[in-house]
Amino acid sequence: MTKFLKDINLKGKTALITGATKGLGRGTAIAVAQAGGNIIAIGRNQLELNTLEKTIKKLKVKYKSFNCDVNDYDKMKSFITNLKNLDILVNNAGTNIPEAFLNVKKTSLDTILNVNTKAVFNIAQLCANQIIKLKKKKASIINISSIFGLVAGQKRTVYSMTKFGVEGLTKGMALDLAKYNIRVNSVCPNIVLTPRTKKYFNDKVYNKYVKESTPLNKVVKVSDVATAVTFLASEASSMITGTSLIIDGGWTAK
Amino acid sequence: MLKKINLKGKTALVTGAGKGLGKACAIALAEAGARVIVISRTKKDLDKVNKIIKKTKGSSKSFVCDVTDQAAFEVVLKKINRLDILVNNAGTNRPEHFTKVKTKNMEYLTNLNMKAVFNIAQSCSKKMVKFKNRKKIGGSIVHMSSQLGKVGCEGRNVYNMNKFGVEGLARGMACELAKYNIRVNTVCPTFVETPMVKKFFKNKKFKNKMLKNIPLGRLAKESDVATAVAFLAADTSEMITGTSLVVDGGWTAR
Repeated sequence: MTKFLKDINLKGKTALITGATKGLGRGTAIAVAQAGGNIIAIGRNQLELNTLEKTIKKLKVKYKSFNCDVNDYDKMKSFITNLKNLDILVNNAGTNIPEAFLNVKKTSLDTILNVNTKAVFNIAQLCANQIIKLKKKKASIINISSIFGLVAGQKRTVYSMTKFGVEGLTKGMALDLAKYNIRVNSVCPNIVLTPRTKKYFNDKVYNKYVKESTPLNKVVKVSDVATAVTFLASEASSMITGTSLIIDGGWTAK
Repeated sequence: MLKKINLKGKTALVTGAGKGLGKACAIALAEAGARVIVISRTKKDLDKVNKIIKKTKGSSKSFVCDVTDQAAFEVVLKKINRLDILVNNAGTNRPEHFTKVKTKNMEYLTNLNMKAVFNIAQSCSKKMVKFKNRKKIGGSIVHMSSQLGKVGCEGRNVYNMNKFGVEGLARGMACELAKYNIRVNTVCPTFVETPMVKKFFKNKKFKNKMLKNIPLGRLAKESDVATAVAFLAADTSEMITGTSLVVDGGWTAR
């Protein structure tokens, strides 16, 4: 009998994941490895990259890491252009400095634009070119976006500007890369409980706000997002490109 | 019951006002009775706009300024007593296929279409907020976005990233500036008959291909867009904020 349900299977595939040592990046690396994919982890903390190696190798897949800031274009370029295998990019590294619009500091604007917009673009471009050079018949790029790539939040003007930008980049890339059978999508999670957001959630008012803004009345887990990313990385989604998978408990449906 | 587009007594600032959409917006706002501050890098263009506005018995004042020069723009703002409306229009495009985009072009476009757009909006907002009757008389900021702030297009990935970013910024600003009764919206036109577009459309094949994407089968006129901007600038739209007015002949409806 012909199978109708396609597996989320990444056996033999190689995925590059930025911001891989913490939060969503780490969760995604583990999920991709559990689906059989080999991991190339990019992070800025060698200890954390080593810890991740132990976790990933237990899953019997290959692991390679590169200790590098995604803002360092030259280093990232020489690393990516020398890769022998690349099928998947999880463009995850990102940051946020919540400030009210009228008080946004120039340094904050630059920091967030550099990581969330310029580095995201540069890494995507480098990986797409490498995938084409390696003559891959199919590939998948997932940009980690946010509900703030779809709607606004208090003190999130710069973050929204950059994440709406990622949504735009995703669709533009999807069209330009379609002829190479490279699919490009984004995931838009609600505020997920991660090391970066833990401090937000410690604030009772914020905690209440997030829950009340989420019709399902619970916080999105790292595994919810990591599963979605792995689905988009695999052939289970082979006809999905140029769109966003929203994981928000209904936040943006209001 | 029918509210008119009336800007009598209001002061509006328009960037990129020397040519194309900015010029059309400046003239439309003046026709609606606003005192218009026109900003452009080219004095000759500004002189022409001033002349046209004067002919229609409108009031305008011009300043030669590059919007990416934040310090110079701050100097201009200091010379203005009051500001009620901002048309954040200055922007450009350098179409390139995603894998071929030159880093310097990505930086150039991002600095103008995102960074300057943000900085101009922030500076103008600060000025608008200071006005003591602001809450009563309201204020309006209109960002010039694009249908490419809504959908992807071949060779437009950076422009897509920038304009989606502007859509994000508008929503974030709308949330934060609502308490001052300052509304923030975008206008999203399809290809408009402007000098910039005429240059792209010298390529007949490209023109025909693009026209096929517009269900109405024609380009937008500058007046179509300028009228939409004036509508959003005036009290005709006093309950509209944080959204987009799409002027695209059906392009994004497909």
